[in-house]
Amino acid sequence: MTRYVALRLLQGVGVLWLVATVTFALLRLLPGGPFDREKVLPPEVLRNVEARYQLDAPVAVQYLRYLQGLVHGDLGPSYKYVGRDVADILRDAFPVSIGLGALALGLALGFGVSLGLVAGTHRGRPPDHAATLLAVLGMSVPSFVLGALLILVAGLWLGWFPAALWEGPLYAILPALTLAATPAAYVARLTRAGVLDVIDLDYIRTARAKGLSESRVRVHHILRNALLAVVTYFGPLLAVLLTGSFIVEQIFAIPGMGRFFVTAVTNRDYPLVLGVTLVYAALVVLANLAVDLLYAWLDPRIRLGGAER
Amino acid sequence: MSGAGWVGAGLLLALVTVALLGDRVSGHAFDAQDPDRALETPSLEHWMGTDALGRDLFARIAEGARVSLLVAVGATGIALALGIVYGAVSGYVGGRLDDFLMRVVDVLYSLPDLLLIILAKEVLEGVLVGVSDLVRTLVALVLALSLTSWVGVARLARGLVLQAREEAWVEAARALGARGPRVLTRHVLPNIAGPLVVTAAFRVPVAILAESTVSFIGLGVQPPFASWGVLASDGFTAMRSFPHLILFPSFAIAATLVAFHLLGDALRDALDPRRKL
Amino acid sequence: MPRAVWGFLLLGALACLPRAAPPPGVLRINLGTEPPTLDWTRATDSVSIQVIDQLMRGLAELGPDLRPVPALAERWEVTPDGRVYTFHLREGVRWTDGEPLRAEHFVYAWRRLLDPQTAAEYAYFLFPVRGARAYNAGKLRDPNAIGVRALDGRTLRVELEGPLVYFPSITTFMVTYPARRDVIEAYGERWTEPEHIVTLGPFRLEAWEHEYRILLRPNHDYFAGPPRLKQIAAYMVTEGSTALILFEQGILDIVRVPPLEIRRLSSHPGYRRVPALRGYYYGFNTEEAPFDDSRVRRAFGMAIDRAELPKVLRGGELAASFWIPPGMPHHNPSIGLRFDAEGARRLLRDAGVDPAKLPPIRVVYNTDQTHRLVAQNIQKQWQNNLGVRVELDSREWKVFLKELVVKPSPVYRLGWGADFPDPDNFMSLFASYSANNHTRWGSPRYDRLVERAARERDPSRRQALYDEAQRILCEREVPIVPLFVSAINLLVSERIEGFEPNPMDLMFFEGVEAH
Repeated sequence: MTRYVALRLLQGVGVLWLVATVTFALLRLLPGGPFDREKVLPPEVLRNVEARYQLDAPVAVQYLRYLQGLVHGDLGPSYKYVGRDVADILRDAFPVSIGLGALALGLALGFGVSLGLVAGTHRGRPPDHAATLLAVLGMSVPSFVLGALLILVAGLWLGWFPAALWEGPLYAILPALTLAATPAAYVARLTRAGVLDVIDLDYIRTARAKGLSESRVRVHHILRNALLAVVTYFGPLLAVLLTGSFIVEQIFAIPGMGRFFVTAVTNRDYPLVLGVTLVYAALVVLANLAVDLLYAWLDPRIRLGGAER
Repeated sequence: MSGAGWVGAGLLLALVTVALLGDRVSGHAFDAQDPDRALETPSLEHWMGTDALGRDLFARIAEGARVSLLVAVGATGIALALGIVYGAVSGYVGGRLDDFLMRVVDVLYSLPDLLLIILAKEVLEGVLVGVSDLVRTLVALVLALSLTSWVGVARLARGLVLQAREEAWVEAARALGARGPRVLTRHVLPNIAGPLVVTAAFRVPVAILAESTVSFIGLGVQPPFASWGVLASDGFTAMRSFPHLILFPSFAIAATLVAFHLLGDALRDALDPRRKL
Repeated sequence: MPRAVWGFLLLGALACLPRAAPPPGVLRINLGTEPPTLDWTRATDSVSIQVIDQLMRGLAELGPDLRPVPALAERWEVTPDGRVYTFHLREGVRWTDGEPLRAEHFVYAWRRLLDPQTAAEYAYFLFPVRGARAYNAGKLRDPNAIGVRALDGRTLRVELEGPLVYFPSITTFMVTYPARRDVIEAYGERWTEPEHIVTLGPFRLEAWEHEYRILLRPNHDYFAGPPRLKQIAAYMVTEGSTALILFEQGILDIVRVPPLEIRRLSSHPGYRRVPALRGYYYGFNTEEAPFDDSRVRRAFGMAIDRAELPKVLRGGELAASFWIPPGMPHHNPSIGLRFDAEGARRLLRDAGVDPAKLPPIRVVYNTDQTHRLVAQNIQKQWQNNLGVRVELDSREWKVFLKELVVKPSPVYRLGWGADFPDPDNFMSLFASYSANNHTRWGSPRYDRLVERAARERDPSRRQALYDEAQRILCEREVPIVPLFVSAINLLVSERIEGFEPNPMDLMFFEGVEAH
């Protein structure tokens, strides 16, 4: 078990190195540089700026220097935010995105699993159709449209929630709902499918026949199997929550990390792009590991470290 | 097929018809400007109102259907083709090659989609020279969107091939002397086609959503055409005064996505009874 | 229905409480984005200026008519040859740590700006100072050789490379503000954080929550008297639509109005509009056919009815055929090509150009809703009025900027905002040696006119020089077609008193009150 986790983490480091390399290469292939300005810099000024950020060295040397910095935990300086290190910027922004993401995750699981259970246990009847329709709608609206609707309706017209900004838990609700809509819909689908897989199986019938109350049957057997289906979706779910946060943070004016996925690229702030990408990749690697461990724990039939993954 | 499935198919048929007819449906050219009639709310003449240049919004949405569907279907098609070949080879050959190919997938999977799409699109636009601007934008967008979604298809295809490889009929074919590529194309792929068709139906809506997100960032399809994503995100900036500018394109997106999901559900019930998806 | 849903409805009802009234004396504004830096020597962008101008002052500041008036300098004089300026500092100005302002603080700040190690992007603002350019390029090693010297604690002498009448205007710009060596050397890159920064303007930095908001409070020792506000909260709401809704909810006091919302809000009592010192133009790549012929460029300029643009954009833009914008000294509204479709077609014929046989004209702009609207309108006008085919293409911002330098498209859009309100800031842009002249057009005569105007102290002679230069630029040679001057559209809450928008897009809050 420990050996397995250590091996996976080692593989993860390899993945991170490749992610950094691919991102670095793509960024340098991208036309336009960080100091191409509307008001063009005179050549001597440009030379000074490039010397300061060591952009005057050959790209290969810059790459090696970046890796060297990474090994020492140094993500480099931001090109856009003068005098701030990428690590400082991420230290401020990352917790905000994680907080928002965690709330959205909770909402997605809460709504999704409830809807899925309702749908799955009433197969073919009106509650199933209603729940399915709701889920389909959740997957069918672009998040900036949903965000705009929530701001207008729940924020401006009804005045239930603050329309934007980030001053406390109440301020997180509309953005979290926006962020959670699509994942909740997927969770609902997966739960419903998971329920349908087991609902007619022998051991559930046996449990019912043994006289276990309906609610206990649901909780113990059906829910457990349904969750197994949902757990496999955790990796992609995390990805959706983290990158989806760009739009949500942008329109709700939240000081999180998501907006850097776009603004750092448009600013050609190479170290900041690499920084957010590496944080994201590290999270995905860890989440996948967690999913595999969780899966093994929920389903004893699966053994870790087997040939097939 | 279930009732919902037929609803989905009907919606899609209507949509494709509109896309084919384009701006002929409403009788207004999609790019006809009339500054004196700009930003009108829906009326009998302009069913969905007009935009900032006085162009008929219905005509623009009808015309945008082409762009949005083309981009989404194109991206999904490429992702499927690439993903199936890659995943099938990886799963069928197995061993070291499988390990290597799957590591590559892991890396791509660990890159943020949005970032990859933006980077790939801009890099591709820089690389594609010598074609017209519109073609270049479209091709770059389609390739960038497919780049993030083929990985999922590859994983699915590999998993299905791994299962199929162990099935009796494949063993039988091998015993009869059939070899690698032939077994894969003649025996394995046809048997896993169902789930792959279903995944295609579910991936088109994802591509449409991704396109709308890219448009919101300002990297969508540019004039004279406008995808639904571009129309909706333009509408976002005027949502207080002219909500129709964001509502109608969003309706178009939502209706299309609902249609694909309903159809996908129905296809899954028909083609993938064991629900591998 | 699942319990979670009911829980949410309940929470929603609880949240539906009466909103607290905004605290008196607190002004809440929107910066739009995080200021990249508050280090005024290294700042370059409009958001940073917005905050820095609350925290700091320069030798001069802009008066109501945008002429430089004394600020940290109580007066200045210039030698008859126009080469040497002497600034006399006001007495009793103190930094927020109690330290008195001395002339050395300017010497240090200017040397730091020009030091190649600092790598300040706006170092070139002081290139007119003797030795500055050579020092910045590393050709001159000795900082004492730069033409800025503290004669005593309160006297600053500046020697220029050549005479320059608008030098005091430059000293209103943030990169020329004084700085404290002791603070910067003690705290390094972190000297701009609230716990370290030392300033001398009307407000001081109270808190900086990165990517979210900046809080300022009044500087009670400000030399011109403390401001009346108790606090400024400057938020960073990126989406204009979101900011507008926050204004409508009474959460922000001053916001920009998104262009398409102006029609509805122009009757709002808090709606304010001022023309900006910001020009918008289409440039030609004059090295490539057909735009290597000035008759063709003139024809394309004459084929645009600029009056259509404000109708399309709705942001209070002012159609402009001239380049020096109104509000700037030496502006002349009579300059420029008039709309004349007939004349434009004739001119094309004279140039031997058959519009039908011309390959499609490529117009490139950077991706943005306003630029797209302009491009689509111009496309329609050129197609209708000249009978040429026009193709539009948009580029992401940085790609667009790169292309402008490497290989400008036949027609491109650009704008220019004033750094300081002197026509030289606009006119020297199209000198043959200007890095910002992407047209590849150059005229020795134009260069000479602009250089002479920069030295000319007599206003009427200066006017004549600029008029002539503008005629070359906008009527005869036409490497660019000016289209319109932008406007600033703001909504100001009724609780705010004494706030006036400024054509430089700067905001000053010393006299502002919030009820």
